[in-house]
Amino acid sequence: MPAPAPIRWSPAARAVASVLIVGYLAAVVLPPLAGPPPASALAGWLLQPFRPLVGALCLGHGYRFFAPDPGPGHSIRWTVERADGTRLSGSLPDRAADRPRLLYHRRFMIAEKIAPLVPPADAPAEARRDARADWLPLVEGVAGQLLARHGGVRVQLQLVEHYLPTPEELIASEQGRGDGRDTMADIVTPLGTFALAGSVQP
Amino acid sequence: MTTTPSPSVAAVPSRGWCAEWTAAWNAFWFTPADPLPLAVIRIATGALLAWSSMVWLGDAQAFFGNDAWLRPEDVWRMNDQPWQWSWYFAAPVAAGGLTLVTLVAAVCLMLGLATPLAALVSFAGLVSAANRAPLNVFGLDDTLGMLLVPLVIGPSGAVLSLDALLGRGDARPGVRANIALRLLQIHLCVVYFFSGSGKLLGASWWEGTALWGALANGQYRTLDLTGLARHPLVVNALTLATLFWELGYAALVWPRLTRPLVLAMAAPVHLGIGLAMGMMEFGLAMLVANLAFVPAAAFRGLGSRMFSRPHTSERLA
Repeated sequence: MPAPAPIRWSPAARAVASVLIVGYLAAVVLPPLAGPPPASALAGWLLQPFRPLVGALCLGHGYRFFAPDPGPGHSIRWTVERADGTRLSGSLPDRAADRPRLLYHRRFMIAEKIAPLVPPADAPAEARRDARADWLPLVEGVAGQLLARHGGVRVQLQLVEHYLPTPEELIASEQGRGDGRDTMADIVTPLGTFALAGSVQP
Repeated sequence: MTTTPSPSVAAVPSRGWCAEWTAAWNAFWFTPADPLPLAVIRIATGALLAWSSMVWLGDAQAFFGNDAWLRPEDVWRMNDQPWQWSWYFAAPVAAGGLTLVTLVAAVCLMLGLATPLAALVSFAGLVSAANRAPLNVFGLDDTLGMLLVPLVIGPSGAVLSLDALLGRGDARPGVRANIALRLLQIHLCVVYFFSGSGKLLGASWWEGTALWGALANGQYRTLDLTGLARHPLVVNALTLATLFWELGYAALVWPRLTRPLVLAMAAPVHLGIGLAMGMMEFGLAMLVANLAFVPAAAFRGLGSRMFSRPHTSERLA
């Protein structure tokens, strides 16, 4: 191993570096402490002066991978209508078309991040109306991109929550021991029909 | 009868609690460290960022352009932080060219060519992509950011680099190398702590069934392990092992006795996620971050075994 560097840091240099180190570590620790919920008001208050640094260095992460529980996967089912009346259907993400796998995952995140914002179709009307302001602008962006990609004039979108079977349900299904009901069906929530000029209510 | 006072008690004067803290802080952060581990991390991080940039580049306008999946005016809805900047906001029509800049910087970082500048531009490219397309980023991007900050700070091109071949690197142990590695080590502990403690909010992690939820999710699955439905105790064991490994990481990775065990566990956890759930890049990035805890001597030993010439007797045999 080479000999240690002869120049050691002066006390002043160490003091400045220590302040910077503490500041950086605060910007690393505080965002996951302050969110996602549940989180304390104190953590949120402490985070405030560090938010510019968190934003500049892109440190606003929660790090709660597969927490609190791994849930069902989602996709966005689309049907594009072209000016000549032809229709084209697909899914976002598309396991067959979205290759390499990293591209699939980047598109998969679109459905995964919009899904928590969309209440199920049987949720109270008021809750669905209030949530619409959060997810509609995002879905309009997705609709616009799909129309541009496929040369469409209208696109119909549905959010699909793919059923996550329990081990018992999977074994019963493999053995043909279902109870006759389609209990393993996906949950489909209409997102609306979107035209080039804007959106149409579902 | 004469007694000899114990040297450990009598000969060492107490320096006081604050002085001991200061000494420990200085020893932890400002002891010169070998830049070799940082260089290994640089090569792997550069390769991963180059691959990620190639994937972004294949559909750059759809990710970063004016009519992207997430329109520029809606980005704040996903990530509302002040000073959230991105060079894609400034020039969305040049999305492909800007992504190419990141790709070139990542390749230079991997090769160790103009390393300080390459690290800085790579980090700027990563942050620009993450801040412009928050709808498309995930753990891989968080981890690459965690890896790139130390590479900007430390002398990651001092060895194993074109810069070193050109005589531009200082391979001697230094304080900046130590600070960079320490920052990465602590950041990694923070990631595992919050990843583990967040799981404690979920019943399925306590019940030992959470791993099934990940394996049975058809949108993630790349390796069919649903046969584990018939082995619930195995699922329990794997789930609880993952949970307690993440929870214990920040404490057990520091003692020399437990460090090898904790680091060895990282390989099956992250490679398992990579193989079974189609997130190999994320798994590899986390493994690269774990290299911050591997001493330089281990890399040198591995390197000498891999690249040393065989002895005469071995050649003759």
